[in-house]
Amino acid sequence: MGGWDRVRPSRSTARLGGNSSMNERVQSSRTIRLGRVTPQAPGHRTIFCNDREANSPVRFMGNSISTTKYNFFTFLPKGLFEQFRRVANLYFLTISILSATKISPVSPITNVVPLSLVLFVSLVKEAFEDWKRFQNDMAVNNNLIDVLQDQRWEPIPWKKLQVGDIVRVKQDGFFPADLLFLAGTNPDGVCYTETANLDGETNLKIRKAVERTWDYLTPEKASEFKGEVQCEQPNNSLYTFTGNLILQKQTLPLTPNQIMLRGCSLRNTEYIVGAVIFTGHETKVMMNAMNVPSKRSTFERKLDKLILTLFGVLFTMCLIGAIGSGVFIDRKYYYLALTKSVDDQFNPDNRFLVALLTMFTLITLYSSIIPISLYVSIEMVKFIQSTQFINKDLHMYHTETNTPALARTSNLNEELGQVEYIFSDKTGTLTRNLMEFFKCSIGGEVYGTGVTEIEKGIAQRNGLKVEERNSDNAMHEKGFNFDDARLMRGAWRNEPNPDVCKEFFRCLAICHTVLPEGQESPEKITYQAASPDEAALVTAAKNFGFFFYRRTPTMIYVRESHIEKIGKIQDVSYEILNVLEFNSTRKRQSVVCRYPDGRLVLYCKGADSVIFERLADVSDDLKKVTREHLEQFGSSGLRTLCLAYRDLHPDMYENWNEKFVQAKSSLRDREKKLDEVSELIEKDLILIGCTAIEDKLQEGVPACIETLSRAGIKIWVLTGDKMETAINIAYACNLINNGMKQFMVSSETDAIRAVEDRGDQVEIARFIKEHVKKELKKCLEEAQHHLQTLSGPKLALVIDGKCLMYALDPSLRVMLLNLSLNCTSVVCCRVSPLQKAQVTSLVKKGGQKITLSIGDGANDVSMIQAAHIGIGISGMEGMQAVMASDFAIAQFRFLTDLLLVHGRWSYLRLCKVVTYFFYKNLTFTLTQFWFTFQTGFSGQRFYDDWFQSLYNVIFTALPVIIVGLFDKDVSATLSKKYPQLYREGIRNVFFKWRVVAIWAFFSIYQSLIFYHFVTTSSKSAKNSSGKMFGLWDVSTMAFTCVVVTVNLRLLLMCNSITRWHYISVGGSILAWFVFIFIYSGIMTPMDRQENVYFTIYVLMSTFYFYIAILLVPIVALLGDFVYQGIQRWFFPYDYQIIQEIHRHEIDNTSQTDFLEIGNHLTEAEARRYALSQLPQERSKHTGFAFDSPGYESFFAAQLGIYAPQKAWDVARRASMRSRPKIPLKK
Amino acid sequence: MSTNTASSSSAAAGSADSSAPRRNSKRPKYSRFTQQELPACKPILTPKWVISAFLLVSVVFIPIGVASLFASRDVVEIVDRYETDCIPPPNRSDRNDKVKYIQSSGNKTCIRSLTVPKRMKHPIYVYYQLDNFYQNHRRYVKSRSDTQLKSNSSADDVSSCKPEDNADGRPIVPCGLIAWSLFNDTYNFSRNNQQLNVNKKHISWKSDRENKFGKDVYPTNFQNGTLKGGASLDPLIPLSEQEDLIVWMRTAALPTFRKLYGKIEVDLLENDTIQVILENNYNTYSFDGKKKLVLSTTSWLGGKNDFLGIAYLTVGGLCFVLALTFTVVYLVKPRRLGDPSYLSWNRNPGGR
Repeated sequence: MGGWDRVRPSRSTARLGGNSSMNERVQSSRTIRLGRVTPQAPGHRTIFCNDREANSPVRFMGNSISTTKYNFFTFLPKGLFEQFRRVANLYFLTISILSATKISPVSPITNVVPLSLVLFVSLVKEAFEDWKRFQNDMAVNNNLIDVLQDQRWEPIPWKKLQVGDIVRVKQDGFFPADLLFLAGTNPDGVCYTETANLDGETNLKIRKAVERTWDYLTPEKASEFKGEVQCEQPNNSLYTFTGNLILQKQTLPLTPNQIMLRGCSLRNTEYIVGAVIFTGHETKVMMNAMNVPSKRSTFERKLDKLILTLFGVLFTMCLIGAIGSGVFIDRKYYYLALTKSVDDQFNPDNRFLVALLTMFTLITLYSSIIPISLYVSIEMVKFIQSTQFINKDLHMYHTETNTPALARTSNLNEELGQVEYIFSDKTGTLTRNLMEFFKCSIGGEVYGTGVTEIEKGIAQRNGLKVEERNSDNAMHEKGFNFDDARLMRGAWRNEPNPDVCKEFFRCLAICHTVLPEGQESPEKITYQAASPDEAALVTAAKNFGFFFYRRTPTMIYVRESHIEKIGKIQDVSYEILNVLEFNSTRKRQSVVCRYPDGRLVLYCKGADSVIFERLADVSDDLKKVTREHLEQFGSSGLRTLCLAYRDLHPDMYENWNEKFVQAKSSLRDREKKLDEVSELIEKDLILIGCTAIEDKLQEGVPACIETLSRAGIKIWVLTGDKMETAINIAYACNLINNGMKQFMVSSETDAIRAVEDRGDQVEIARFIKEHVKKELKKCLEEAQHHLQTLSGPKLALVIDGKCLMYALDPSLRVMLLNLSLNCTSVVCCRVSPLQKAQVTSLVKKGGQKITLSIGDGANDVSMIQAAHIGIGISGMEGMQAVMASDFAIAQFRFLTDLLLVHGRWSYLRLCKVVTYFFYKNLTFTLTQFWFTFQTGFSGQRFYDDWFQSLYNVIFTALPVIIVGLFDKDVSATLSKKYPQLYREGIRNVFFKWRVVAIWAFFSIYQSLIFYHFVTTSSKSAKNSSGKMFGLWDVSTMAFTCVVVTVNLRLLLMCNSITRWHYISVGGSILAWFVFIFIYSGIMTPMDRQENVYFTIYVLMSTFYFYIAILLVPIVALLGDFVYQGIQRWFFPYDYQIIQEIHRHEIDNTSQTDFLEIGNHLTEAEARRYALSQLPQERSKHTGFAFDSPGYESFFAAQLGIYAPQKAWDVARRASMRSRPKIPLKK
Repeated sequence: MSTNTASSSSAAAGSADSSAPRRNSKRPKYSRFTQQELPACKPILTPKWVISAFLLVSVVFIPIGVASLFASRDVVEIVDRYETDCIPPPNRSDRNDKVKYIQSSGNKTCIRSLTVPKRMKHPIYVYYQLDNFYQNHRRYVKSRSDTQLKSNSSADDVSSCKPEDNADGRPIVPCGLIAWSLFNDTYNFSRNNQQLNVNKKHISWKSDRENKFGKDVYPTNFQNGTLKGGASLDPLIPLSEQEDLIVWMRTAALPTFRKLYGKIEVDLLENDTIQVILENNYNTYSFDGKKKLVLSTTSWLGGKNDFLGIAYLTVGGLCFVLALTFTVVYLVKPRRLGDPSYLSWNRNPGGR
């Protein structure tokens, strides 16, 4: 901060000297300020750029962000509050207080010690997790950014940035706050930003500074900038901004075009200078992020229900005991000395009061029915699961990005085992955002030998081995992944149709709006395109020998090789006469060009549907063959474009060009007129072929999705992309295939367009709503029809953002939900971050299903937070998604491991832990309950205080944690080989009321055995000396039986028994004996009753002890054993069958197992697959998808904020930029 | 342990060596623990196992059961319930009469004669058995002071003894309801008019006698209150030698309990008739409690109690039956181990 201290004095002296600039500012401002202390009007904020002192009275928020839950001071109160939100903890607090009173039969230490332990461990865990969040925040806050200080750029950490500062952001740097764009190195005040982190869109956005500020680029100049910004208060709307820049008494309106948002990054611009307007939590991206809610798993909520049930049981038990005590109490038991002056609790004169007080006594006595160490055990188990197993799993370590998996919270491990719906972002999550030219069809011939992921998947499912054909001459660079010797290195000249090939390549090289950058050599050049598809196509042309290297406003220069003969190179310049640009209605793009020899050609590329309509009537065969190829490409998940050309007659062209120029210069409805004129010339086309571009998927995505869907998980894709792109990816990921019945709800219909053209907002809304309603109804009816027929096709729903907006309306929501829950896959395209969250919570709340959201960008944050489980893709640049997520993994495919292995195991383990806890505490407490009946309902404790308090903490604590950590039903490999096993988790098979009831039944059975066997058998003398046992001998005996049995019962429920199981079970039983040997062997001066003095020695001196210790546990376990035997043999769980199938295999953990995953196909699946391969009557997907350069954000367009950048502007700018460069080279 | 991990890391495809030299690598280190590959045995409860377990249990249990039952049957036990018979017939009509009788100060001697059904070898243990007496009532169990019993110096420690804590402003030793309600029926045995000695030494557990009841603690101020609960104690004998009190104060677990009264150290022959001269002092009539006199020999397993033997035999037999049933059922309705057609997704194919 030293810099600022230095600045301030100089500033103030300047102000003293030059009052004029000050006055200027005061006058220019609309708000009247007296000594600058008036608070801001709530409607807007005023920012003085480059003047920290002037801004200081307003106290703008700093730029540091914090995502932590607690701070140093709030930690204890807030943390304790969080802990006591748990019923059980609150209960134990009450019991602890209660047990300090006189009515308690147990001493308060019994409850206070375990409770404190529980709270301590939980708080330490919370603190640790929050600390890690804090460190993450610090990493972000301490990024460096150049700020203007003393006419120099000084790097300071992000967190020190303040509103009004002037900052410099270099190429590929992230914007540290919401900035007002003042100046950039590009000559026309333009810069490019990538907003992928914000909305997932990958095409670069153009931002343009207000012309008056273009000069403030150097530090010297920038320090003169003394503007005042009046703008709206911080809000979360990403695509709107209103404000004014008041500069030297001039008011300049500001639009979103000048705003650069935090989270975006600068591209293709050396550096820019901007003024900070919103900081820290007030930036739009942070305002978009919801508060981090502390997520609790559904499992835990169900657990609360179980606990509540236990409370019910407890209450019933106490009530029975209390009524009993009221009835029992009588003066006839004279030895109890129930005189007139006896305590209220034993006063027979007021039986009601007796019952009431006994009720409280019994509550403290039976408090052990609520497992106190349950939560802390679960937390320990989950903590180790997440930090040791998930974070350190080598299967989830991504070597390329050096990123291991990261569990950011340990609350949700078991939730991972019950996920039914996955909501996935597309870009960066499913795809790598890398377009590669992959295949093509030229003149009815398919070229390209590559195999897509989805084809690999299909082949693997058919049991075929797919070998990578990586021939040596395969060319591979960014955007080009094509291998076919028939086309490369001029070999195409020997193909049947070399002329068509030539046209194909020329079309690729000419018909586009790409800018070349850098040196004009094939190796060094880079192509700047708004759409990666276009760059891929031009790169492809380059590799085929048609190297496009320069563009001027009217010319395209192509270096063509191998035209006349192999190896010959010539530069050809084509004059570009017209560009008929791309838009989403036209779905095509054309270029009219003149060859050097005067030939006039129109090259056109576009969607197959529009191109085929406009073909000349000849070449029917070619049409048919090409269509087949398109379908083939489309079903392999490739993005296709059709190429066509048309030779133009000069006269005809001149004629048309007049109309075109006219349309271009018209002021009203220019777009529409241009479209109409274009129609006139884009006809009678001759088909050349088609291209297939692979939107490169992340590694292993189709296989992962296939596995997950076999696991019963439904995957929805929510993307900001266009419908075509989204559908294409859905095909590529095998989410949709031609065998599915697809429902489309799209706003891209002629009717809607017509209404929209009329421009009446109310009418548009009404119309679209009607339309959506109609569509949904139709789809729902059809869906139900399909569901009724048994072997009906699977269903898929595709819906776009605009329709979704109306479909999410409360009146239609139910319909949408019903429809979408019946669909196997759902694709939502062009959705906003908010809608992503809405869809997620629709399924979460409306469908009562466990949901998981996965995404990588800031646009996914709200969705990640809305779902039960949020997963961020880590290892990329942006951290927003990871920061909001519960788990971070490097690759989508790691979901298989995360869900099928870790999630499933965690779920199984926790079910075991919880049911076992339930069992052991119920059993223990019930023995106490049976005893109450024989003590005149007085609430006498059966066990010693310390037995009862240590029962949960020592004698039965460790083994169950070991089970929570190590129990494995089937190995990780088998979990992935049989994804269907996961469905047991979705159906929540292991934590149903039925399961709990079975455990409860055996608890009752066992407790009866313990109590009655021990008491009945000890009624007579127990050794040859004829002496009798007392109460504490019997209770020690019973307790020994309970500890032994409960620990052995644990072994009976284990699926795998490691040495840790033996150690912990043996250790627990041993711990009991060691404890009782010491405890009953000593007498202490401390105030404790010597009840159990020497009991264990007395017991162990009798034969009876050994006979009983053999009998009772075995009888107690007999019931469970019989049940398990019958259950396993006659009603086996799936995992049990799998265990049996693989019973002879040792755990083979070598990595070769990985390759086999997915090969396994059950008969039913084989049949289903065969069915899906049968010819279908439906129209097939042909895979058209194209990110057009003119396409801007859907939201921006919808809100009518700024005019889209036209293709022509790109060309114009190309000329502006390249002009100074060309002479330099020549 | 270390050799173990070294050999197993080869399975992890050389993960250890590739990560070792690279600095800054976040690659997790391989360990069997974190990769969850700890060696484990995986028990599968196959029919073979189930049936053999049942058979094993029955094979072990039946002999033990037989042995226990024999031990129990060897014990000869004479039980005589006397609480009603020892009240003169006119006073038997209702409870109030009985209570009035027992609280009166007259002679309450009662003579019972018992016939020995079988030869009884010495030592023969004499017990009294009370019924419906809640020695395990919370108010009762608490009402004692262990510190006071242990040493003379803490005679004043009577806080837990209410209402039998002080009398005439001085602490009672031994205080509390338990001591106050000490059993006070006495038995004298004779065979053929020949006195049978009852040895009352060492009828309590040694640990109680030696550690819980002090040698220097003498009864003081005991049973001096308005109401007498039971027996009085000789103030000249230290508590550690008052074995009736020690036995009584080891409170029973259930409302029906036996306590050792003494030992007869001669053999009794079959058909011997034994006269019991009984002082019927103790009031169980208020709460309708039964009183029984028990003479019993012991075996290695203690007194007469068929329960363990029967339990063992029943469980052993049950396991045998279960083993048979399971065998039959498995033969009738067999299932191949690991039959994939039992998998839920194969049972209802195509099911969504």
